[in-house]
Amino acid sequence: MASGVMLTAVAIGVPWAGAIVAAVTRRQPRVIGFAAALISVAASALLMRTVPAGESLKEALMVLFSCLTLGATLMLPRRDCSSGTIGGILFLLGSTLLAYSTDDLRVLLAAWVVSAVPFLRERWFGARTWRPGLGLLLSSGALALAIALIAASGDTMSIGGLIRKSPGGMAVFGLLVAAVVFRKGICPAHAWVADAAEGGAAIPTALLLNGHFGAMLVARLIVPLFPNTARDLFPLLSYLALATALYVAIRALTENSPRRLLAYLALSQSACILAGLESRTVEGVTGALVHWFVVTVSTMGLFGIVRLLEVRFGENLTASGHLGLAAHAPRLAVFFIVFGLALVGLPGTLSFCSQDLLIHGTLASHPLTGLLLPIATALNAVGVFRLFARLFLGRRRTGFTVMADALPRERLILTAGVLFVVFGGLFPNAIVARRAAEAEAVERAFHVPEESPDTARRWASATWK
Amino acid sequence: MDFTQATLVFVVLAPGAVFGVLALLWLLGSVPPERVISRITGWMFSASVVALLPVLRSLAATGAPAVTVTFGNWFAVHDYRFPMVLMADRLSLPFLGMTVVLAGLIGRFSVTYLHREPGFFRFFLLLHLFTFGSLLAFAAGSFDLLVGGWEIVGITSVLLIAFFQQRTAPVENALRVFGVYRACDIGLLVAVFAMHNWAGTASFAGGLPPLNGYRATTICLLLLLAAAGKAAQVPFSGWLPRAMEGPTPSSAIFYGAISIHAGAYLLLRVQPMLAQSGLASALVVSVGVATAIYGTMTGRASADAKSSLAFASLTQVGVVFVEIGMGWKWVAVIHILGHATVRTLQFLRAPSMLHDYHQMHSAMGGETSAAGRHLEELFPRRMQLWLYRWALDRGHLDTILDRFVIHPLMRLSRFFAGLDRVGLDVVVGSVAAKSPTTRSSAPQVREGI
Repeated sequence: MASGVMLTAVAIGVPWAGAIVAAVTRRQPRVIGFAAALISVAASALLMRTVPAGESLKEALMVLFSCLTLGATLMLPRRDCSSGTIGGILFLLGSTLLAYSTDDLRVLLAAWVVSAVPFLRERWFGARTWRPGLGLLLSSGALALAIALIAASGDTMSIGGLIRKSPGGMAVFGLLVAAVVFRKGICPAHAWVADAAEGGAAIPTALLLNGHFGAMLVARLIVPLFPNTARDLFPLLSYLALATALYVAIRALTENSPRRLLAYLALSQSACILAGLESRTVEGVTGALVHWFVVTVSTMGLFGIVRLLEVRFGENLTASGHLGLAAHAPRLAVFFIVFGLALVGLPGTLSFCSQDLLIHGTLASHPLTGLLLPIATALNAVGVFRLFARLFLGRRRTGFTVMADALPRERLILTAGVLFVVFGGLFPNAIVARRAAEAEAVERAFHVPEESPDTARRWASATWK
Repeated sequence: MDFTQATLVFVVLAPGAVFGVLALLWLLGSVPPERVISRITGWMFSASVVALLPVLRSLAATGAPAVTVTFGNWFAVHDYRFPMVLMADRLSLPFLGMTVVLAGLIGRFSVTYLHREPGFFRFFLLLHLFTFGSLLAFAAGSFDLLVGGWEIVGITSVLLIAFFQQRTAPVENALRVFGVYRACDIGLLVAVFAMHNWAGTASFAGGLPPLNGYRATTICLLLLLAAAGKAAQVPFSGWLPRAMEGPTPSSAIFYGAISIHAGAYLLLRVQPMLAQSGLASALVVSVGVATAIYGTMTGRASADAKSSLAFASLTQVGVVFVEIGMGWKWVAVIHILGHATVRTLQFLRAPSMLHDYHQMHSAMGGETSAAGRHLEELFPRRMQLWLYRWALDRGHLDTILDRFVIHPLMRLSRFFAGLDRVGLDVVVGSVAAKSPTTRSSAPQVREGI
């Protein structure tokens, strides 16, 4: 127990300390960032070993996010790798891990707000438009109000102590759902995600989106605290997620800004995760949890590659014509198509398994959603291939000076990502079995009888121990 | 696992392993020379052909219905399982044999045909991946696994259409083909999920899932959608001439031999279920008849050799669909084997044959003889003209697809883009005008796919 607390403190504290060191020294930011993220990865991995399989979703997400941050420190182009960027990324890592690990609502709110701070300042990671700031503020405001109402009702601030108590009733439930909608970019609050991706710093924004705080809030608070209300009203949220998946998938068909297009694809697949979480079937929830991992790694890789292309070939890349960049950067082209197809369920990648489970589970509980999700995924696949074709295929441009393909450090981290999605797809049982145990607990929580809160509490402690 | 089972596993996995090794070498920065690639390809396909003999012998000598290899579950959640079963029965074995023999021949042909081509390595990489996908689809013991092979065939097909990536047309045509594939594959995916929901399994290693009535009809119709998309049947035939942008060897193996017949294989696999549903059988026959007529008419108005061959191929596959719908399973299998072999030869011969004809004509001072009489000459003159225009525009199928599917989808996408902007304007008015978001997306949105 004590070692668990210590490891959690290290996983969260070292990135924050690294951020401070990077800001103060202003020297060797990449080394500082890499070292801090590596320590965080190690602490999170050790933490995961201390909990039994099937009760380790929180720890697995901590490992995943710290690995993503580690990858980001390697993938950041030299132009972007300032002490401010590294500091911000480490700051985000610490906040996200804190949000994943805490059991106190006030700390969760603090981590939620703090993780958004770098994206509210235009000089840091913020976009030039107002929508990302507004989306993040509204989501934070909704969560703050929900927690304030819980506090006002005199309930405890411990998540474990609030299980199945429906604290604050429908008002709190509605506010928590609003927080999910705004943070995840569910329709009609989707536009800020694309704005943030286009106008902000690409790799940090991808990290922010891949924190998946919205999905975390569903699994962490909404289901355990309001299982009955969730059971009754989740079909609505499921249809909203489906609408988002379809809306942004169609919207992406005519989008020519690579970053916005990628944001739409990521949003569509994230909405699929939400639909899976709300399916209330073990298969669907397992698919959603596994897909969470795939979407995170794939979108991180895609955003990273687009940023690397921007650094090499100019910031005004567009998908309105063929750029023929594969002739200059063939390995980046291959990494891009593998990550892109992995996002939309290419056989042999982990997303094939996750989507198989997700759609199967969703079809069993919400047939309409289950029937329409494959259409959204097919549209996403067209979007991915269109972006690939426009960026990498076509006549070779001669206006560029000779540019390097993926550098060794970039190749290393991109290969690691590809190996994760490919080996995960070839041997999925290791990942699926762990998530299935957690998903069974989630599914059980929906069916807990009124008179047995203990079961639900056991679930909460098992899943988010 | 006995020797026969091991050989079946080798046949299916060998091209996948070669693909994996070559891809890894490339990622590590090493590209093997042409000679090494051609030798590996030759050995691998020769060994695969030989390895199929024990499977054939086992089926012929023992009278066993199938050689089956079970690896357990690829993954399992609750009571949902994804079984990993490879199976060679009397239906799949001819397809497995056809695939390794023709892919091997194409590999040998391509060593010379693509010599010193910049995309030589890429072509062989994709050829091995395609062969792996085809073998996986044909040797799958469940529809779950078949989907995996099916999708791999689709993506390699698209990447080979875009093989000459420096030109715009192949790339855009590849995108179009990809869109049609993905749209039709939804039928296969939903059919598999429906099988799991209704029958609790999508495995056919021990017989098809026990379904009848409207459920069997629904499954068959969904599979017909997938099969029609992959086999370019009406109304999805428009993509086939676009797919001719790829190199000739890939056109031969995909659209003369294997990929084009994958849809027929899928229907043959569910033939007992198809026989239970009069509606589904009638639709399969109707689609086949429509495609055969469409293929023969449009093929006559095609000006280039590869498109003519593609439409001729389409006609034959249409007839195969009719045979399947009528329940003549083994006629269809023999038809497929014969057709695939002849059509592959024709595709591979097409470039050199044209060259030979040109040489012969120039030596003789003109064309040898006038063409013979055609059936359409029996029609009235006005109908002949109408048919010619219809055939020249390839049955207007692309136009119909554009007008009723793609353009509405694009309009909807632009409408959504407009909605986003309107929402912006309503909320903040002039701030929106200064937003870089609107500046960047508004003018570009008009171009689309």
